[in-house]
Amino acid sequence: MTIPDSIAAAICSVLHDTGRKAPDISPPSLLSADLGLDSLDLAQTIVLLERSLGVDPFRGAAAGPRPSIRTVSDLIAIYTTALNHQ
Amino acid sequence: MTTTIANLADAPAEDRLASAIGLIARQVPDRTAIVAQAGSDARRTIDYATLAAAITKLEADLAAARPIGIVARAKRVESLVVIAAACGREHVPVAFLAEDARDLVGELRDWVAIDDSLSLPATAAAGPRREFETVPPQVVVATSGTSGPPKLVDHSWDSLLAAARLAEQWHGLGWLLVYDATRWAGLQVWLQALLTAGRLVVPASRDPDAVAKAVVDEQVSILPATPTLLRRLITSADRGFVSKMKLDRITLGGEAADAALLEQAKELFPGVKITHVYATTELGEVFRVTDGQAGFPTEWIGRPLPGGVRLSMRRDGELLVQLSRDTAEVATGDLVERRGGRYEFTGRRSDVIVVGGAKVFPRRVEEVLRSVPGIADARVYGLPSAITGELVAAEIVITEPLPDSTTPDHVRSAALAVCRERLEPHSVPRIIDFTKKLATTPAGKIPRRPS
Repeated sequence: MTIPDSIAAAICSVLHDTGRKAPDISPPSLLSADLGLDSLDLAQTIVLLERSLGVDPFRGAAAGPRPSIRTVSDLIAIYTTALNHQ
Repeated sequence: MTTTIANLADAPAEDRLASAIGLIARQVPDRTAIVAQAGSDARRTIDYATLAAAITKLEADLAAARPIGIVARAKRVESLVVIAAACGREHVPVAFLAEDARDLVGELRDWVAIDDSLSLPATAAAGPRREFETVPPQVVVATSGTSGPPKLVDHSWDSLLAAARLAEQWHGLGWLLVYDATRWAGLQVWLQALLTAGRLVVPASRDPDAVAKAVVDEQVSILPATPTLLRRLITSADRGFVSKMKLDRITLGGEAADAALLEQAKELFPGVKITHVYATTELGEVFRVTDGQAGFPTEWIGRPLPGGVRLSMRRDGELLVQLSRDTAEVATGDLVERRGGRYEFTGRRSDVIVVGGAKVFPRRVEEVLRSVPGIADARVYGLPSAITGELVAAEIVITEPLPDSTTPDHVRSAALAVCRERLEPHSVPRIIDFTKKLATTPAGKIPRRPS
């Protein structure tokens, strides 16, 4: 699966687990406003992605400004970078 | 023998084990003291005369070498018994180090290790000797490390034997040892069994089927266990064996026993007395509850219990214990919560999972999960998360066989639905994995860290 597909699948499964319907997920989708993800949902998404992609870009991240994660494409960028640096 | 065992209480505590074994060996030399590897082909038995002879020999060696302390390095239970009895009689301090506490041996400088050969190493004679007995001999035991790294705790023989029952009704019974024999809980079981001419049955493994077979084959009547081990026996062991068990008493300790487990046990073993003991390695036994209900009565808080123990509670629900008027109040790290006329244990303070600043009690989540049809057992723990600090995760064991047309996926959905209905949103597990068998700690408890 490609990175965008893995991210969409993880978000779908988070929404499904919490009894919500998955709307269309595309790169510009806003995680919070469009998809309704709260911080717990995002934490769960990250664990699921660690399992499917084998990397957790947020683990042990040094203190300092965290990259903005507002949209699906932000996530795609973060995971692409993390996988490239492996 | 009856009167003489009861009279043991008059002897100094450190002499009692060796005296009891010697006494029983003189009267019924071939009585079985220990059944090791029970339930397997490697089963072997050790009688009281054999134990007594080994103790006498080691006593002589200790008297000659006068080591400053002994570290019991033996793997076999009978060796641990011999080392403890001989050290007590000879007033030599003795340390029992469980597998995960072996690194702490460095704290016991110049102490001499004894293994299953039960002989003092030749170097012992060259080491420092105990010239004067300035302090009473102590027994050093490692804590279980459930809530932090294991540490060594000094006990007197008096505190080690404080909970042992020597009255006649306790004589000659069959005791199951599922605990690690080097830990506080395990020591309590084998000391009790061997002080009272009992038969100590050590199953070949903790596998539920092996335990159940040992109980039936060796006619065990007293089953001391953690709630986790009992739950596993009830949910996973061959029902054929479980129905053949002839138990008199189940003594639960090491963790809180929940109401669901107590009900299940009462149903499965009608007429069996079920007691749960509240004890810690640091304090020893604090109280026991014998009415078969979870927790303890609310009126126990704030007034002295028989024996002088006083319980109180911090505002956040942590249980505080004062053993007697002259001792300090100790924070136990155990959290309790009022439910009707009882205080029930909600978990260890250190087990609390913090999700985005909100507290989650893993025991509570496990209780809810276990109530879901199709779930035999569950373990809940915190997964580290950069976003919320921690995230609630669960491992569940599916009941086998599942009813027709039910899949593990159905069970998972049902579990989430029940959790959403009965728990705060942040307590609902976000990660649920299936497993065939839950991990337990060496002390037989539920591990609270990711595996």
